[in-house]
Formats: sequence, structure tokens, C-alpha cells
Amino acid sequence: MTSIASDSSNIGPAELQDTGFKRLGLHILIFIIIIGSWELAGVFNQLNDLLLPAPSKIIVKFVDLWFIKGTIWWHFFVTMFEATAGFFIGVGIGMSLAIAAVISPIFRRYISPYAIAFNVTPGIAVTPLIIAWFGFGWSSKIAMATLVCFFPPFINTLTGLLYTDEDATELFKSMRANKNQYFWKLQLPSAMPLIIAGFKIALTGALIGAVVAEFFSASEGIGILMQRTSFKLDIAGSIATLLSMSLMGLLFFSIMEVLDYKVIFWKRDARMQQISKKRKAAWRM
Amino acid sequence: MSAITEGDVTALTDDADSSGQRAWIITKHLILFAVLILLWELAARAGWADPLMFPAPLGIVKQIWFIYVVQQNVWFHLYTTFAEAMAGLFFGSIMGIGLATAAALSLRFREYIKPYIIVIEATPRIAVGPLFIAWLGFGFSSKVALASLVCFFGPFVNTLTGLLNVDDEAEEMFRSMRATKWQTFWGLRVPNSATILMAGLKLGCSSAFGGALVAEFISANQGMGVLMSRYTYTLNMNGAFATLLSITFFAFLLFKIADVIDYYTVYWRSDSLMQAKSKKRKAAFLKAIAQN
Repeated sequence: MTSIASDSSNIGPAELQDTGFKRLGLHILIFIIIIGSWELAGVFNQLNDLLLPAPSKIIVKFVDLWFIKGTIWWHFFVTMFEATAGFFIGVGIGMSLAIAAVISPIFRRYISPYAIAFNVTPGIAVTPLIIAWFGFGWSSKIAMATLVCFFPPFINTLTGLLYTDEDATELFKSMRANKNQYFWKLQLPSAMPLIIAGFKIALTGALIGAVVAEFFSASEGIGILMQRTSFKLDIAGSIATLLSMSLMGLLFFSIMEVLDYKVIFWKRDARMQQISKKRKAAWRM
Repeated sequence: MSAITEGDVTALTDDADSSGQRAWIITKHLILFAVLILLWELAARAGWADPLMFPAPLGIVKQIWFIYVVQQNVWFHLYTTFAEAMAGLFFGSIMGIGLATAAALSLRFREYIKPYIIVIEATPRIAVGPLFIAWLGFGFSSKVALASLVCFFGPFVNTLTGLLNVDDEAEEMFRSMRATKWQTFWGLRVPNSATILMAGLKLGCSSAFGGALVAEFISANQGMGVLMSRYTYTLNMNGAFATLLSITFFAFLLFKIADVIDYYTVYWRSDSLMQAKSKKRKAAFLKAIAQN
């Protein structure tokens, strides 16, 4: 295994003795102190609005974008649609390629140099070509999102399906499990954590692909909103847009966390017990 | 335990036993590649492939020759993008490794930066591009800033994971030998994180490249990103493909260099290097004893 990690969830054990409530209070206190001193600097005219506007101005812009003028809704929807569509297409392509590569060693052997070359090229470098091929509309953004996000599901599915526990494989063989049972009951479940991790990376990647394609050339979408506001030197608006983008990222992130929680239940003790109880009850009936 | 969330390209490589077998496999790869390219060329000649979509391979090769040898304009752009990406990687990894070290040393600091890290991870960081351009101008600095922001995360998370997830028994042994906090840090945690840190740097390498390219797409007057967007806007597809291929080639080269550095830095992972190193240390030790 050469490359590992890139997931903030293993940021390490938290063993602070403080109770949860006190800790949350301290977190909020620190946040307030940072924002407060930033705001004070703004009040005393220490900030240049062209560089770093005070938080209150950003909040005003944020509220304006979302609720008063409401311009952002459409752009937000467009980007989200592009990223999601790209994600599903990318995952479809990536996973089917991976399954084909797992089934046939010959196919695996022949695609490997292309996969390695693809892995090291920054996918977003293809943006201008994609725009030239698919035009300035939505399709080029979807294609870009697909291109950027297809690799993690591909490589993670492949790795997960190939490295199955040998003892478990032997057990399945000695129990005369057929190929289907082997795939559905052992290979796929043991690959599941890695596959979901691939999805997580892919969803963020799809968002990045869509936004970059919008930077390059588009008429609608949150990327173009960001570019317009910052080229007008409306930095407060630009930061407000950026915050909305973080919001979208967090939304995607939490959807993936829920999926992780639901699908890979055996990794979490509480969830595992809950499921076993349910299965036990069902079995008794 | 750290979750392995990143697949591994080495899963694709097969283990050919003898060198003869290996040569045969490479030949077969080359034959397949040649057939594919030939088909493409024929399709372009026959007019099945639209030259605005898929220019013929021969034209691309000619264009590569043209921009590298005849016109020689690509070198300058290549140098610009490379310098941006490398400077970005440098600053980004210093930032990432520094933050990770601080977070590994202090539990409290780790606790307090955690929510911010999660937000930063979820944000498409490349989206800050226009903002950086507005702040830092159209030149070199905005590209370096974007590259370092985009690439800082890989080194950060990997260093942190490596520093924190040490072997319990090794840590116990350090404690029973009364190692100080610093001795544990330098003797156990840092070597433990070296492998995964190198993986993080490799990850950062390709994302720094991506960051520099995107910043150039947004606004610049030199660099591979600019060259590529110029070619596509003038619908010179040969040129666009030639630029893309050079980006791929040089990114690959960079990756290989990182691999070599990785191999020699984390010497204890490879047996032959490890043996050579131990032998050297043993010789030095014996010499020191003989002198006394």
C-alpha cells in the first residue's frame, strides 16, 4: 500500500477531559473572539474593503444573496445539478470499468498504463478541450465533473475488490460458495468501506470540476457568480459566495457521512448492535 | 487505526516473474497502443473523426515538434507553470506539515482547529481562485497562492495521521525506557510518519499542478493553462492536444521523481537499501570501537 489517508475523520482520538458542553462553549467562544476582533478592526477602519471586508458586511451580502435579492438560488441549483449529474455518471463509468478490470485480468493489464497516466494528469487541465467539445452550456460542466470524479471510485473499487481477506476466501471456498455468493457476500461487503471512501472523494471532485468549468466559461452557476463578484472587486459578495460554496460542500459531505453510516454499519459498534438486534428479532419471528 | 481511503494504482500492475516475460508484456502493450493510434489516424484520414474534435495523431505529433523545436514557445510557459506549482507545493507543504506538527503535539490545538479543517476540506478550495486573483493580481503570486492552498491538505492530513497513529507497543517501549516527549517525537513519531507523509506530498504535487493551471485559466498571460486556452479558443485542436500531452508527460515525470525521492528517504521500506544502510552503520560502529 503506498498511498493512504486524506480524510479528516481520522484526525486522531479526542481525549480532552472537558465535558462536551464546556468544550462546545470554548469552541464558540474562540470563534466569537476571532470574528469579534476582525469586526472591531473593521469598525476602527483598519480594513481595506477591497482586501478583507468586515464580517458584518459579508453577512449582509450573504443575506442579500440568499433572501433579499435571491440571486444565488438559481446559480446554486445549476452547479449542484451539474456536480450531481457528473458524480453519478462518473461513478457509473468508474465502477463498471473497475468491475470489468476485476473480472478480467487481461483487461486490467491493458488499461493499467492509461490509468497511471490518467492518475498523474491533473484532470482539470482538460477543461478547455471539454469546453470546446461540449460547448458553453451545462453539458460541458457535467462532462468536466464526470472526468474529474471518475478516478477515485474506479481505483478504490478495484483495490477493494482485489484485496479480499485470504482466510475468508478460503472459508467461502471450503463451504462451497458459488461465484455469486462469493461476490455478493464477501467481496462486495469487504470492499464497501473503500468504495464509499472513493465516493466521498468523488463528490468533492465533481463539485470542483463543475466550478472550474464554470470559471473557464459559463453563463450561470455558482462559479460564474464568484468570478463576477470578485472581478467587480465586490470582495464581500465574493466571500459570501465562497461561504455558500462551503455550504454546498458540507451538504455533500454530510450526505456521504450518512451513507457511510447506513451502509457500513459493521464499522460502528452502536449501529452494529442495533442491526443485529433487528436481525435477531426478524429471525425469531 | 487510519482508514485507507485512497485506492492504490499498484493494484493494476501485474507481477511478471522473469524479465523475458516482462519484455513480452511490454511489447504487447506497445502493439495495442500502435493499433489504437493507427485506427485513430485512419479514422481521421477517412473523415470519420471530426478534426475539430479529434485531430489526427500525426498532426498532434507535428504540432509537438513545432512547439518544442521549431517555435520553442512552450518552454517558457512550461517553466512558468512548473515554477508556480513547485513554489505552491513548497509553501503548501510547509503550512500543512507545520500545522500538522502543532496539532500532533497539542491535543487542545487539535481540538480547536478540527471544525475549521472540516469546513476547509468540504469547500472546493480551487473556488477561491478568483478571489486570490482579485487580491494578488494577475501575476505569479496569485497562482502560487492558489497552488499552495489547493495542495496543503494532502501533506497536512497525512502528516497528522502518521504522527498520531504510532504503534502502541513501540510507544510503550519508549515510555518504559523513559524517553522524553521530544525523543518520542523524533525517534518514533517522525520516522513513523515518513512513509505516509511522502504519499501526501505526492498527492500534493499533482494538486499543486492543478491549482496553478486553474489560476492560469482564470486569468494570466503566461503558463501552460494560458497556452492551452489560447489554442482551444482559436480551435487549434492539434495545439491543445500537444499542450495536454506535455502536461501529462511532465506531471508523470514529476511523479516519478517523487517516487525516487520517496524510495531513498524512506529507506527502511526497501530491503536492499535497508541492508546497505545497516551495513554502513555497522562499519561505522566497529570503526568507532576499534579507535577506542
